[in-house]
Amino acid sequence: MGNIFQPISAEIIKTIDETPNIRTFVLRPEQEVPFLAGQFIELTMPGYGEAPFTPSSSHFKRDIIEMTIMKVGRATGALFDFKVGDTVGIRGPYGARYPLEKFEGRDIYIVGGGVGLAPLRALFLALTHEIDKYGRIFLRYGARTPDDIVYKYLIPEWEKMKKVDIDLSVDVRDERWMKKVGVVTCLMDEIPCDEAKSIAVVCGPPIMMKFVTMKLLEAGFKGEHIYLSMETNMSCGLGHCGHCKLGPYFTCKDGPVLTWDQVKDIPDPFV
Amino acid sequence: MSIQFLAQSSQSEWIESLSRDATLFFPALTKDQVHWQCLDPATPGKDDDAPWALGHIRAAEPVKSFFFTPREKVAEMPGKLEPAAPGKRVLFGAKACDIVALRVHRKMYLEQEFKDEFYRGRRENTLIIVADCPVPEDSCFCNLVHGRPYATDDDRDEGDVALSVVEGGWLLEPLSDAGDKLVALARTTPATEAQLAAREASRQTAAKRLAETNPKQFAPDTPARIWKRVQDDAFWSRHAADCVECYGCLMACPTCYCFLLYDKAKDQGMERTKVWDACYIAAYARVGGGANPRAEFVKRFYNRFFCKFSHFPTWQKMPACSGCGRCYKVCMGKIDIRKVLAEV
Ligand code: SF4
Ligand code: SF4
Ligand code: FES
Repeated sequence: MGNIFQPISAEIIKTIDETPNIRTFVLRPEQEVPFLAGQFIELTMPGYGEAPFTPSSSHFKRDIIEMTIMKVGRATGALFDFKVGDTVGIRGPYGARYPLEKFEGRDIYIVGGGVGLAPLRALFLALTHEIDKYGRIFLRYGARTPDDIVYKYLIPEWEKMKKVDIDLSVDVRDERWMKKVGVVTCLMDEIPCDEAKSIAVVCGPPIMMKFVTMKLLEAGFKGEHIYLSMETNMSCGLGHCGHCKLGPYFTCKDGPVLTWDQVKDIPDPFV
Repeated sequence: MSIQFLAQSSQSEWIESLSRDATLFFPALTKDQVHWQCLDPATPGKDDDAPWALGHIRAAEPVKSFFFTPREKVAEMPGKLEPAAPGKRVLFGAKACDIVALRVHRKMYLEQEFKDEFYRGRRENTLIIVADCPVPEDSCFCNLVHGRPYATDDDRDEGDVALSVVEGGWLLEPLSDAGDKLVALARTTPATEAQLAAREASRQTAAKRLAETNPKQFAPDTPARIWKRVQDDAFWSRHAADCVECYGCLMACPTCYCFLLYDKAKDQGMERTKVWDACYIAAYARVGGGANPRAEFVKRFYNRFFCKFSHFPTWQKMPACSGCGRCYKVCMGKIDIRKVLAEV
């Protein structure tokens, strides 16, 4: 197996500024990183540290990996100074994938907030790649302002895809915004799928996840059908170091996506 | 191979043969504590006169130090770091609780999806001779975590030979195949009935002493009881009151498996170091954005008990505790796991 702590190198081949503090990095790793939607990788910013990120590109595309990253701390801050042609490190993939076989034949209701759309995009692309296997795909996405929306240039294309239904909201509108205003739950007053059978997938800031989950449960989604991207501190990504423990789970191994049924007995799972 | 007797007069010859192509460590008594010491006279700090302490309880240092080192370089960029070829070692005089601790680490580092080759290399190149504890101390509670003060055939996953001090020499019981070979190097005779009876009597005395110190087993539903008290801050605060947050208990603990990877810049790249970590440290669970699910100490205090006595037993069918008592020995507030668990 070799040294599990050693990253392979990856070249930054392109960057896309999504919002003032969110950027997509397109990476070409020296060898394929066979991730599946839901899994994450550990990204080394040489000299500045390592942090976990979930790829946002399709898992059907193996030679490149895209990651959409928000500037939050020291390591991500440093990453924003990296340029096309620079080298970063990659370990992984780690964690559990979305169990897509359990999604087959069902409607899938995806709710994202802010940069949380990044990992959901990998799922969205995996689903739409084989759309005949699934029911309809609903994407509900909220951002703070229209400028804070990621993948602005992709969403119009997605909206044209068959069986796809997208709705957006912003907390604070500008003069051009024609869609809903409010936190993302304002898009959830009517849920156009069969809640008891459909799958819900949520990723966003902890507080948003909490309220979306409550809303989904109220609407009749089953706890086992609600998939949540849990954020915990991670160090190794390997299930060895203990840092990511959330109740009885190692989120790096059992997660990062866990169902509501798995986390509901943990006090304050969304910290 | 049957249990063998090695007379005192032939011991040094055996030890010499064991240390011929391996580095041998033995428990040496310094003041009132046992410390692992390297037999090699060239080792710095070696005290030639330190007496071997096979009959004492476990060494002060946790046995994990030999395999999961307190600090180690594990990766670099550019380039690729591979684990260095480990040298052969013999740990002569580990204790039964050390074996339990190694079992926990094997489950964590070698039996999960990802295998730690640094750990594997060192572990596979180390042979372990487990010496009986004829006189358990008051801090010892291996009997409360399904252990005993000596190794048996059940310990062959981590132990190679069980050694018992008897009149005039040692009884050697090979546990593993490698242990067979080790014992074969010794000039032994099959153990006599009387010697076996003496070993049994000594073991029973030790077990009895442990039972007297720790008469009451933990409740079988301890894992569930701990989980039920997840929100009971009053209970945990009461037990944590004397903690000074020195983290000594976790650093001394042979089963604690937590570590942190941290990088530092080095010549246009990085060097990654793996260091022991402790879940009592405030920043342990803090996420990148700054939120901390265990910002209050009482939550971290709880976490240690949950990890060792609730989660690990449920997951791995054994507590992540060997009963070695190191945490109690080093604790300035004299917090005793036994007391906490008895009340949980
Ligand atoms: S806890 Fe048991 S095995 Fe460990 S040193 Fe004490 S008596 Fe020996
Ligand atoms: S928790 Fe205490 S008694 Fe248990 S293995 Fe760790 S140091 Fe030893
Ligand atoms: S991040 Fe190390 S165990 Fe999960």
